[in-house]
Amino acid sequence: MDKKPLLQVRNLKTYFYTEDGIVKAVDGVDFEVYPGETLGIVGESGSGKSVTSLSILRLLDPNGEILEGSEIIFDGKNLMELSEDEMRKIRGNDIAMIFQEPMVALNPVFTVGEQIMEAILLHQDVSKNEARKMAIDMLRKVGIPEPEKRVDEYPHELSGGMRQRAMIAMALSCRPKLLIADEPTTALDVTIQAQILELMRELQKEYGMAIILITHDVGVIAENADRVVVMYGGMVMETADVKELFRETRHPYTWGLLNSIPRLDIEQERLYNIPGIVPDPLHFPPGCRFNTRCEFADERCRKEIPPLYEIKNGHFSRCFYYKKVEEAQKLKKAGESA
Amino acid sequence: MNTELKRTLRKLFKNPSAILGFTLLIFFTLVAIFAPLIAPPVNPMFPDENGNPMKLDNPYIMPILSWSSDPVAPSKDHPFGMIAGRDIFYGVVWGTRTAFKIGLIVVSASTLIGLIIGSIAGYFGGWVDEFLMRVTDIFLSIPFLLAAMVLTTILGSGLNKVMIAMVIFGWMATARLIRANILQVKEEQFVLAAKALGIKNFIIIVRHILPNTIFPVLVQATMRLGSLVITAAALSFLGLGAPIGYADWGSMLNYTRNYILGASGQAFTYWYTVFYPGMAMVLFVLAWNLVGDALRDVFDPKLK
Amino acid sequence: MTAYIIRRLLLLPLILFGVTLIIFSFTEILGPEKLLSAYVNPNVFDKLSNEDLDKLIEKYGLNDPMWTRYFKWLGGVLKGDLGWSVTAKEPVAQAIKERIPYTIELALYAMIPVIGVGIWLGVAAAVRRDKFLDHFIRIFAIIGWSLPDFVFGLIVLMIFYSVLGWFPPGTMSGWAEEIVKSPEFKRVTHILSIDALINGRVDIFWDALRHLIGPILTISWLWWAYLLRITRSSMLEVLGKEYVRTARAKGVPEKDVIHKHARKNAMIPVVTVAGAMVIGLLSGTVIVEVIFNRIGMGRFTAQAATQLDYAAVLGSVLFYSSVLIIGNLIIDILYAALDPRIRLG
Repeated sequence: MDKKPLLQVRNLKTYFYTEDGIVKAVDGVDFEVYPGETLGIVGESGSGKSVTSLSILRLLDPNGEILEGSEIIFDGKNLMELSEDEMRKIRGNDIAMIFQEPMVALNPVFTVGEQIMEAILLHQDVSKNEARKMAIDMLRKVGIPEPEKRVDEYPHELSGGMRQRAMIAMALSCRPKLLIADEPTTALDVTIQAQILELMRELQKEYGMAIILITHDVGVIAENADRVVVMYGGMVMETADVKELFRETRHPYTWGLLNSIPRLDIEQERLYNIPGIVPDPLHFPPGCRFNTRCEFADERCRKEIPPLYEIKNGHFSRCFYYKKVEEAQKLKKAGESA
Repeated sequence: MNTELKRTLRKLFKNPSAILGFTLLIFFTLVAIFAPLIAPPVNPMFPDENGNPMKLDNPYIMPILSWSSDPVAPSKDHPFGMIAGRDIFYGVVWGTRTAFKIGLIVVSASTLIGLIIGSIAGYFGGWVDEFLMRVTDIFLSIPFLLAAMVLTTILGSGLNKVMIAMVIFGWMATARLIRANILQVKEEQFVLAAKALGIKNFIIIVRHILPNTIFPVLVQATMRLGSLVITAAALSFLGLGAPIGYADWGSMLNYTRNYILGASGQAFTYWYTVFYPGMAMVLFVLAWNLVGDALRDVFDPKLK
Repeated sequence: MTAYIIRRLLLLPLILFGVTLIIFSFTEILGPEKLLSAYVNPNVFDKLSNEDLDKLIEKYGLNDPMWTRYFKWLGGVLKGDLGWSVTAKEPVAQAIKERIPYTIELALYAMIPVIGVGIWLGVAAAVRRDKFLDHFIRIFAIIGWSLPDFVFGLIVLMIFYSVLGWFPPGTMSGWAEEIVKSPEFKRVTHILSIDALINGRVDIFWDALRHLIGPILTISWLWWAYLLRITRSSMLEVLGKEYVRTARAKGVPEKDVIHKHARKNAMIPVVTVAGAMVIGLLSGTVIVEVIFNRIGMGRFTAQAATQLDYAAVLGSVLFYSSVLIIGNLIIDILYAALDPRIRLG
């Protein structure tokens, strides 16, 4: 991966100003996405992963602000410096997005076709008739049967899986270079989840686009991502190649996440749960944000925020004691094989 | 629950319009309570043998202080001016009591009726529900003002008749709200559990369902109070409600209309005849609307 | 949906039956003697002996049971005979027919500013949430909602008639009335301002309009306020929806996000509120026609009610309730037209 990154996020800080105080939803996040790859962002709800994705497109609620000094460099342009109008030309065209609930993410009063055509007409110089043909082609491509008929139907007439396919058709109608998928399968049945993910992989191969896949589901990440960013409390905890992350975990939070996946290959007495709860983003603990739930935490963790240590080329961990995690993993593996 | 309540109250008192509403409401309440001190119910035109002004039998009948019926501009003795020989200030002060009386009685009586009808319809369902809801539809199909107007005249005019008419045609919204809420709550676990334990229907309604539906009803009642006072005043304005000379904001405005239509070009000199009773009514209704709005925001943040 | 509309249309006579039955049974309270006053010239009435009274009561069947008299009245209604109005001194049906166009004219003209301005201001306030304009519009709305129409009407009359002399009360000026009543003036629609234009009398059109502005201002004031409040909160709710974010993520310009994606959805609850508005505008015409001394159904009803002209009252209630029910039906149809989930569901 020594290609030039498609997207570089540097020191991204997104704060929300609420009645109760400042919510530091994203607090200094760095990562990059290379052309054609899938970057998984994983974390529990409230970890700042969704806000990160909305920040890239600058689609925050009015009380949210991306702080001065944050950089979002896409295709050589710093998106932070673009005017609203220039930004608009990128949204839906170069960077597209799909959301968790296809039920509420599609406008109920317009037909599926109208909503796909709108994106095409906004960014491409084609006639209405051509746009309609393109919309039908797109629907066929995402595996919707009878696209000529479905194009004139309203979202509520489609099933959940079909709606998410339509949503993908809409997002990909302008052949974006980057697709941000925010929990694209969470609201769907398990069998349909697999179909949708499979569809996304196929289309990625065909179009050569990069994908940022945001999810709380480690299983989805394992099967679909090339590289992973683990987020907690608005910060990156660990970044690595997906295989390496699973094989050589170097952060207690990632370690906890991985242990909480049910496994079929070994016998488990009961499922592991990370103890404690996600801290209130209004009152993060001083020091490492994970210190309230971490089994390795000591005084130092409660005072200083650990830096991102580069463990290997491309593998970073925000933990003073990443070596202890390594030992714990080794011990566990030894136990399992014994 | 306690912290929840604290949060709710804090939210309520952070909202400037809610504070304005509550302040106005407290002000009007004080005026109503202390009306006999603010505007003593006496008539100085008729002193008794000791030279003290005569006490009024009924303080709600505004004393006639002058035989000239033309409006008299505000002065030191009559800060709001006079109309038809009566002191406007007196009428505005005692009219506060009339407004509270009308509003509270009509709202509580009609809410109670709505509560009963809605509970029966919602709880029993089936043909009882169907019948009661069609009756509700019928009552809702007559414009409120018109219905109140017709029934008031049939009953023979006067403030009490106005109130009866408004109660008879004022229960439908509450009934519908309660019914809808009960249909929703009925499916909830704790009610099903109570039913499974063999608890009587009536007790289920009173103990389990009503407490869960009472807040929306309360909010609705508050919101309705203002508009009911307006309707009552409108009926008085049309000459159907309070009799002439009664301390009622609506009937005071009834006088005014004749002067405005009659005296072209100089009506503006009689501004005080509209301003003071009109202002009192607007502020009174405003107070209830603001409070209702604030309560709705607090209890149902979705509706904001 | 079609089945639903047909069901509602079938229900219409049933509800009207119920409405008139309620009003009719209320008039029972009056007793035969009071009811008789609707049939006899009041000057003659006082001079009648008790025997004469009994005879007349017998003659008009006022001692009959309520049901007999109700169905007699209903039979008349089905033949287009609503009885005799004492206040109008003509048959009720005739009196209503003459007055309806004036009230319709007023209500229609009032609806234009209400819908246009109310929705426009509501959207503007929602888009600028918590900014100066939003606060200003909300204060304006809550004062409007608290200001009774008859108080506002009096203020309008005071300023625009008494002081400025612009908008006089009444329906039209004396000179205009003479022309309108003359046989050369053709009554095509019976709506004064439109007939004036058809007859090519621009002067009468302006005169009619001059008399309409005060009442329009009075009625519409309250409903602007109401509609803008509903539009604002509905718009705010919709602007927080995910499909609005989807539209933005597609690169839709903010103008289209608001006026295309959000507004079409926000209008759905607004249309339901329009039902309350129809009722409000109707009741509003009663007050406004009285304040501004206009010819129309509202003032006729108010007069009939105060003088216990019960045939006229029943006729008026029948009219107002029909308008209300049909108005609500139209709103339901509009609702379905806006929301595909209901139309196709």
